[in-house]
Amino acid sequence: MIEPNKFWWMIKKELISLKRHPGRLISILAFPIIMILLFGYGMGGEMTDLPIVVVSQSDGDLTDLTLDTIKTTETYHVVEVIDSLDEGKHRVDSGEVKAAIILPSDYDKDTSQQKGVTLYIDSSDQMAAQILESSTQAIFYRISNMVASQTSVSTQDAHIQPSIQHSLNNFKDDISLHINRIYGNIKYIDFLVPAILGMTIMMSCMMGMGATIAGERETGELARLFMTPTSVSTVIGGKIAAKLLIELVRALILIFMAVLLFNVSIKGGFLQTFIVLVIGALCFVGFGIMLSARTSTQEDYAQIVLPFSMPMMFVSGVFYPIETMPWILQKIAYIFPLTYLNDAMRGIMLKGQTLGDVWLDLVILLAFTLLFFIIGVKRFNRDV
Amino acid sequence: MNAIETNDLTKVYSNNFTAVNSLNLEIPKGSIFGMLGPNGAGKTTTIKMLTCLIQPTSGRAIVGGYDVEKNPNEVRNLLGMVPQQVSLYKDLTVMENSQMCADYYGVPKDERDSRILDLMELVDIKYAKDKRVGQLSGGQKQKASLVASLVHRPNILFLDEPTIGLDPTTKRTLWDLIRELNDDGHTIILCSHDMHEVDMLCDNVGIINTGNLVAYDTPQGLKDALLESNRKDITDALAKISDESEKSISHVDLENLSLKKMSVLLKSSDDGIIETISKSDNVKSVEVARNGRINLRIDSFDDMAVHNVLNDIISSGGIISSIYTEEPSLEDVFIKSTSGGSDDDRA
Repeated sequence: MIEPNKFWWMIKKELISLKRHPGRLISILAFPIIMILLFGYGMGGEMTDLPIVVVSQSDGDLTDLTLDTIKTTETYHVVEVIDSLDEGKHRVDSGEVKAAIILPSDYDKDTSQQKGVTLYIDSSDQMAAQILESSTQAIFYRISNMVASQTSVSTQDAHIQPSIQHSLNNFKDDISLHINRIYGNIKYIDFLVPAILGMTIMMSCMMGMGATIAGERETGELARLFMTPTSVSTVIGGKIAAKLLIELVRALILIFMAVLLFNVSIKGGFLQTFIVLVIGALCFVGFGIMLSARTSTQEDYAQIVLPFSMPMMFVSGVFYPIETMPWILQKIAYIFPLTYLNDAMRGIMLKGQTLGDVWLDLVILLAFTLLFFIIGVKRFNRDV
Repeated sequence: MNAIETNDLTKVYSNNFTAVNSLNLEIPKGSIFGMLGPNGAGKTTTIKMLTCLIQPTSGRAIVGGYDVEKNPNEVRNLLGMVPQQVSLYKDLTVMENSQMCADYYGVPKDERDSRILDLMELVDIKYAKDKRVGQLSGGQKQKASLVASLVHRPNILFLDEPTIGLDPTTKRTLWDLIRELNDDGHTIILCSHDMHEVDMLCDNVGIINTGNLVAYDTPQGLKDALLESNRKDITDALAKISDESEKSISHVDLENLSLKKMSVLLKSSDDGIIETISKSDNVKSVEVARNGRINLRIDSFDDMAVHNVLNDIISSGGIISSIYTEEPSLEDVFIKSTSGGSDDDRA
């Protein structure tokens, strides 16, 4: 049986502690802000202003048009337009720039032959190379359409086989592609934020709960509580209620900051997002209880929780879609509750789904929660 | 009537380690009982079973008339515990901690604060009621812990090393308080390594070693028993020496034999005897007093050590007139009772 008065004391104690330790309070409030800033700005932004040089060996209208287009594209930061091919390659080789776009001497000539534009690129920076490659393809596709002439772009990998050129495409075709984005134009930050909210809740619940239980066991406060005529479930329930309250405030700050800083849209509505986060928080508090049930010190707990929290962070589709991972990691992902929380969060926030639409994720999360609590309370004993 | 009774109380942990082995203990109601034992002897496990923190593997423990396994909540209501490590919430004030404890014990709301204030008055901590526990000195923390432990008016109070680390003045204040609480009718179980404290405060003392109760009596009873035992050891040693050496040993007066420090009066002594004694393996130091007494410090409580020393004296021609030592202390009793125990690290 759970006794509300004792429950309330647990919450009151936490609130008094926070009130008397402004530093701790600030840290609790700042943590979600830092997380959202770090991940949002650090990982969620688009790559722009990549330094390049343009080696222009030709003259004329097409060359001018091409240079203007390149210079006005956000992806590039054109360090210089030069005419020496060797210097251009040298600048890429030395790491001064990420790529050199080489316009050949016959670029502006009206010939019936394909024009061989070369993208000499530092492929050791995989992310930048990928973006430069696709941006350059897109530019020359546009230009070739504009001038309705045949132009070809080839790439040279500066680090692997600089001499090999391959024809990327023959841009002009007759097919018209219409893209219909059913959830609107979603940027990487939009994809990232729902999962960052879930991950932050996961980390703070698991870390915080264990620290509370293991810490109080270490200092003897838990023993005093267990010497009173109070059930284990009341003591644990009180701890959960207190922790949950703090986590909910955190969740609110997280959502607020995500909207404020990154203009993230919450298509399914704020309340539904909040409810999903509450269920997630409950689940991870349960996880923390289960892991800390027999842990005698905070240090032990920190060692025990890491093998669970770290893989969960990277495998549960926070940063990349689960489907892009190797099959073994995909299988592992589905045994982690964070996967279901992320899926539900993205469903609500990005797709505008309702709680009913993500019912399976919620049921699985609640099942995990129940399992964690049962194991936690069962494993928990008064021997502190 | 007993406040606590155990019958063959046993605790075997999951790793098959027997921490408490068929403990039979009776603690009279209204007494101060000293629970002694070396580190790892099984005291903590015994207390955990009596306070319903762990369940016995077998046997029975009755606390305040209730079985610890069948009626744990009734037992908990009867108990108060002042642990060695002050386990109050450091961010809460003394008052808040006491209120929390009171609510956890179900003390009626209308009585709660007045009870707490009365207790604060009793232990003289009222002046710090609004201070956070983290800001208190060691003695103040113990007093605050006492208030929190007494707020539900327990009949039985466990005190685990309550004066450890306290200055002598605070220690005495707490001792007075323990006596006062006992006068008020509380049964007190005192776990301490301070033998002086136990000797002074306790009506009865139980010594636990390797999970068994190896001695139980009043402090004076335990000391008297040791004295008798020592007297017997020496008498036996002298008789044995007499048999072995085929020499008759005249009557020896034996007084207050703690066997640790021994003063031997010889009817006649010379430098040869003193030198022989000095060389004895079991003698740490030898001093000859003005009145001719030879004061010996023996390095162990081993009966054979005494035998060997006396044998050395007699075989070198010494005729013992009397053997006198300091009165055995509770510490002597403790060491004698717990020597030869296992080195296992018990809970």
